[in-house]
Amino acid sequence: MSYTLRSHTADVAVEATADSIGELFAAIADGLTEAMCEWYPENGERFTITCTAERLEGLLYDYLDQLIYERDVREVLPVEHHAVVTEHPEAGTDEQWTITATARGVPFADVVARDIKAVTYSEMTVEERAAGWYGYVVFDV
Amino acid sequence: MTDTVEYNGITLHKQSEYVWEITQTGEMRSPARVFASEKLLSEIGDDDTLQQLVNATHLPGITKYAICMPDGHQGYGFPVGGVGAMDTTDGCISPGAVGFDINCGVRMMRTNLSYSDVEGREKALVNRLFETIPSGLGGGGVISGDRKTVEAILTDGMKWALANGYATPDDLSHCEDGGWRPDAAPEHVSEKAKNRGEKQIGSLGSGNHFLEVQRVTDIYRDDVAAAFGLQPEQIVVLIHCGSRGLGHQICSDYVRKIEKGHPELLAALPDKELAAAPAGSELATAYYGAMCAAINFAWVNRQVIMHQTRQVFAEIFDQSPQALEMELLYDVAHNIAKKEVHTVNGRDRELYVHRKGATRAFPAGRKEVPEAYRTVGQPIIIPGSMGTGSYILRGGENSLALSFGSTAHGAGRVMSRTQAKKQFWGETVRDELEETQHVYVKAQSGATVAEEAPGVYKDVDEVVRVSDALGIGDTVARTFPVCNIKG
Repeated sequence: MSYTLRSHTADVAVEATADSIGELFAAIADGLTEAMCEWYPENGERFTITCTAERLEGLLYDYLDQLIYERDVREVLPVEHHAVVTEHPEAGTDEQWTITATARGVPFADVVARDIKAVTYSEMTVEERAAGWYGYVVFDV
Repeated sequence: MTDTVEYNGITLHKQSEYVWEITQTGEMRSPARVFASEKLLSEIGDDDTLQQLVNATHLPGITKYAICMPDGHQGYGFPVGGVGAMDTTDGCISPGAVGFDINCGVRMMRTNLSYSDVEGREKALVNRLFETIPSGLGGGGVISGDRKTVEAILTDGMKWALANGYATPDDLSHCEDGGWRPDAAPEHVSEKAKNRGEKQIGSLGSGNHFLEVQRVTDIYRDDVAAAFGLQPEQIVVLIHCGSRGLGHQICSDYVRKIEKGHPELLAALPDKELAAAPAGSELATAYYGAMCAAINFAWVNRQVIMHQTRQVFAEIFDQSPQALEMELLYDVAHNIAKKEVHTVNGRDRELYVHRKGATRAFPAGRKEVPEAYRTVGQPIIIPGSMGTGSYILRGGENSLALSFGSTAHGAGRVMSRTQAKKQFWGETVRDELEETQHVYVKAQSGATVAEEAPGVYKDVDEVVRVSDALGIGDTVARTFPVCNIKG
């Protein structure tokens, strides 16, 4: 899995590739972290996030939105993301996809970081290509 | 240049000086207009701004045309610098056309200090402001609020600040809408949004938000400047920030709610970030109430920061804020949607006027303009970059006819943040500003300074020149930075 920060006139975009959907989502979250901070220390407890959604794009939106929320209320910078995404074709309309993810939360007091306001749907791409999974997300700065 | 130009496959026809139109075709529900000089248009045409403007014309109920201001640039969904007015009966309201940072805006506070009073004390001033006003990620807020406090702020806006010792009656009477949106409906604001708000009351945030001490360098309209209380060499303070995580969460929540609740409308739109609730729907009512609550929160956020600024000035200059005549000139939003009545084809219609990176610019006489300025026009504050200065304008006589009473909101970016960090080194930018222009900058990180370096913005002089020439916002005064803090 890998990610790259991409140029956007006012905001910032993350482009990522991975072998699985879960790894793709985690790579995009790692890009979100890099957009906020170039360096972070080794401390901080891991925490867990679980989201369900009707579609993959919605799941990615909810996951990244939840990460930004947890950042603000836990007062930590989420780093080193891991995620597993599973499909539930038998479930209800709003619960077709689930993500269970973890991140290490570096206390704000121990890091200098910048705000990312929100995840956006603009230009969002989540798709399986010949070489694996591909994702592109624009974040509002 | 001919009367027709093309950028990225989109053709614009010149209607008159600085007015360009994209013809309505295909699924567009209206034409689109760009207000720009040829120089600014070439920058606007350089990214996806024009495509986003065309996309905005797909929103139901869009009236006359979607507009891009002279400082317009690519955003997400709806372009920054965009104005779209949708009918409140058969149109829609779109969180993405307001933006995540609801009521991001600027306020300017006057003082009776002159630049010579501040010279030699810039470092003490910038250091103390930086220590006293939370900025950046995780800086907390001036007030560590609880749920009851957040609910009261969402409901009462600056009336809460007045009741709790953070504002004067004059602050309220010199703020857009008196600092209070009566349509606020905190019950439509999620628990998540309120949780985020509790920790951020009185905080700048980061990105392009800042607090800047400035000096007035130029006066262009003596009578209006006098009405605004501005004179050459006067020290003023400009505060730029918004509704912080609370507002961001409201937008995120409603984009998802509307996506699920109105999939048929979303399917007809070219960009999911334009997700819109049909006028009259439950979600339109709920979002409007939640957005108005966030508007109240943002006004209080800027008010509390202004309160802290008054305390710092009192400490540094050893005089009370009253003795320093630290009075609010005006506070104006530039990410907002409001129900306003505008005359369209000879008929008064109520519209949701979306301004995303655009400033209300009502001319003299309009009842919404505070009494203090009703005879001269609403003050407009257009911040520039750290190295170029800012402008104070007044609502122009043509703004209602041309732009639903709107004008630009800033210089507008031309360079991405990633490119800026490659091209500029924050510490170098900071040192050069201090050594060559006597501008003192203090930021949480060098990266922020690099991302906001003067070279990443359009020419604010040109933006304001176009606004003035069109008569949508008339130039009144210019300011130049003295010191600047940012996250």
